[in-house]
Amino acid sequence: MILFLTFCISVSLFAQKKTQGYRIEGDEVVFVFDKRDYKEVTHGLSQHRKSIDDTAIAIEMIAVAGKFNNWSEDEWIMTKIDENRYELRKKMADFTDEFSWEFKFVINEEYWAEPEGDIENLSKAKRKGKDLNVYNLKMYTAYISENGNAKFFLKGYQQAEKVILSGSFNKWNEELFEMKKAEDGWYLTLQLRPDVYEYKFIVDNIWITDEANPNQKENEFGGYNSLIDIKAYYTFTLSGYKDAKNVMLAGSFNDWSKDGFKMSKTEEGWEISILLSSGKHQYKFIVDQDWILDPNNPIKEYDYKGNVNSVCMVR
Amino acid sequence: MRKLIFTTLVFFFSTDFIWANEEENPIGILFPQAEFLNHYTARIPFKVIDQLIVVEAEFLNKKGNFIIDTGAERLILNKVHFPKGKRLTKKRKEMTGVTRIVDQPYERKLSEFILHNLNLKNKKSDVIDLSHIEKSKKMHLLGIIGYNILKDYEVFIDLYLNQITLSRVDKRGNKLDDKVYAEEVSDTLDFDLRKHTIVVSGFVNNEKVRFALDTGAEFNQLNKKIDKKILEKFRPIKHLSMVGAGNKKIRVLAGKLYDFRLNERIGVGPMYTIVTNLRKMSEAYGTYVDGVIGYEFLKYKRTIINYKKEKLYFIKSPIFSP
Repeated sequence: MILFLTFCISVSLFAQKKTQGYRIEGDEVVFVFDKRDYKEVTHGLSQHRKSIDDTAIAIEMIAVAGKFNNWSEDEWIMTKIDENRYELRKKMADFTDEFSWEFKFVINEEYWAEPEGDIENLSKAKRKGKDLNVYNLKMYTAYISENGNAKFFLKGYQQAEKVILSGSFNKWNEELFEMKKAEDGWYLTLQLRPDVYEYKFIVDNIWITDEANPNQKENEFGGYNSLIDIKAYYTFTLSGYKDAKNVMLAGSFNDWSKDGFKMSKTEEGWEISILLSSGKHQYKFIVDQDWILDPNNPIKEYDYKGNVNSVCMVR
Repeated sequence: MRKLIFTTLVFFFSTDFIWANEEENPIGILFPQAEFLNHYTARIPFKVIDQLIVVEAEFLNKKGNFIIDTGAERLILNKVHFPKGKRLTKKRKEMTGVTRIVDQPYERKLSEFILHNLNLKNKKSDVIDLSHIEKSKKMHLLGIIGYNILKDYEVFIDLYLNQITLSRVDKRGNKLDDKVYAEEVSDTLDFDLRKHTIVVSGFVNNEKVRFALDTGAEFNQLNKKIDKKILEKFRPIKHLSMVGAGNKKIRVLAGKLYDFRLNERIGVGPMYTIVTNLRKMSEAYGTYVDGVIGYEFLKYKRTIINYKKEKLYFIKSPIFSP
């Protein structure tokens, strides 16, 4: 039996709005609560709305509540940074879902801070088309960042009014990622989690593939989507074996080549960082010709020849 | 949470089914991303979309997704893509799917596996409109893989490596391949198979409970008619509005269930759970249960299901210690 959780949302968007409530640093999500950003709170099951000034709430505790922790009011407690700001750091890997989460900040386990204003990642809760008059903040693992790891460029189309980048990284949202116009075309840089994503450009309401990208995949409409593989660095370490002359890393990622990845000696043992696609990879260490499993990794699998290999997950 | 609208879908199994019985050309569900381990075992990577386990597949030349759902009695096909009444037949020359995996070194074996072991010969399927799930989850959903497909395999649902391992078993439930799991089984637990439902017995606050293990349950559920002593271990967080079958609005309580123990050794949780009236659910499961455990449970426990032996096996998770 399937219990489905559906929530109809409409993300209202305008250009140049700010993203509120979180930022992503490396493999961490940093939730940020700045009390100057909020004017009103709601509380109780009937959602009484109050001004923060009227209630003169003395903040004792701020918690992050969201779909990821079942909207718990007292679990993800934030740390006070200064007079106005609170932060909470979480590993990206703790978020098992693929696309997005809605969340809010809870003051003293009781008052729900209501976001308002020109916020890009605001999500309006609706039921059967009727407004519930409440908003959640929405967090995407994909977001616009000039230093991001995925650069998108569409050459030409100078006459176009608007170009949107839409893909599996934002549930094919048709508004969120508006591309920026440049002299020779349109560009946008995103920060994405490691995965293989499908995407398209929407040029004035016409969907097109990325002509400059030969990697495509047939879609359910008989057309094609462009593909982008976002990789991430993964560090393999082997403790000990200090007397070994040569330690190599071999795995499914380099066709089990014996001389592909040479590990470097460190104080504790051996180490190497390599760029890997998302998902599962099998590997072994070769210590002076001897193939060994990773002694510090309990995760292992048989391959189709019946050998046992260590397994790592990139996500 | 009050901002969200819940929708419960109750699948009533329709009498309109279609047969896949072409003797010479068996129809298979093809998993292009599957990793073929040996003759009777395959690993299929999945994605978690809104706490549902979703695999990429091809079926009758259509590409899309299937949900793995131990709570469903049998294979469900999405009416949007497989119109009702159409016979599931297929000519050999049309079988182009397999040629797409030429890059794989074990292509021949993989196609054999699909043709001989995951074929749908004499399997019944229901054709139901699943377009509302497609819309809310933004996925191309071909259908749902349920009990009548899964029961012929030992099924390892691994939410750490995000993959499902299907290993063919004989009548007694013994695996036909021996080198399937390289990691050790840390615990074993008996379950009752009631119709298609895996019923696990355990304890909450030292009271006996019977829970259905359902991979299609986004959230755990606890029957509100349950013993008060059990409810003592449920800590409410929020009231929710749910839209049940027939668009009827109901109120449920969401929170956390503490102190669930499968036996003296194995405790699980705390698990996010909603308290609701499970009378309707019990009809669909074909047996009375005190609650439903799904994704929340599997997140803690890397679980192997053997339907024929009516046993669950657990493999240690590197994230959660038992």
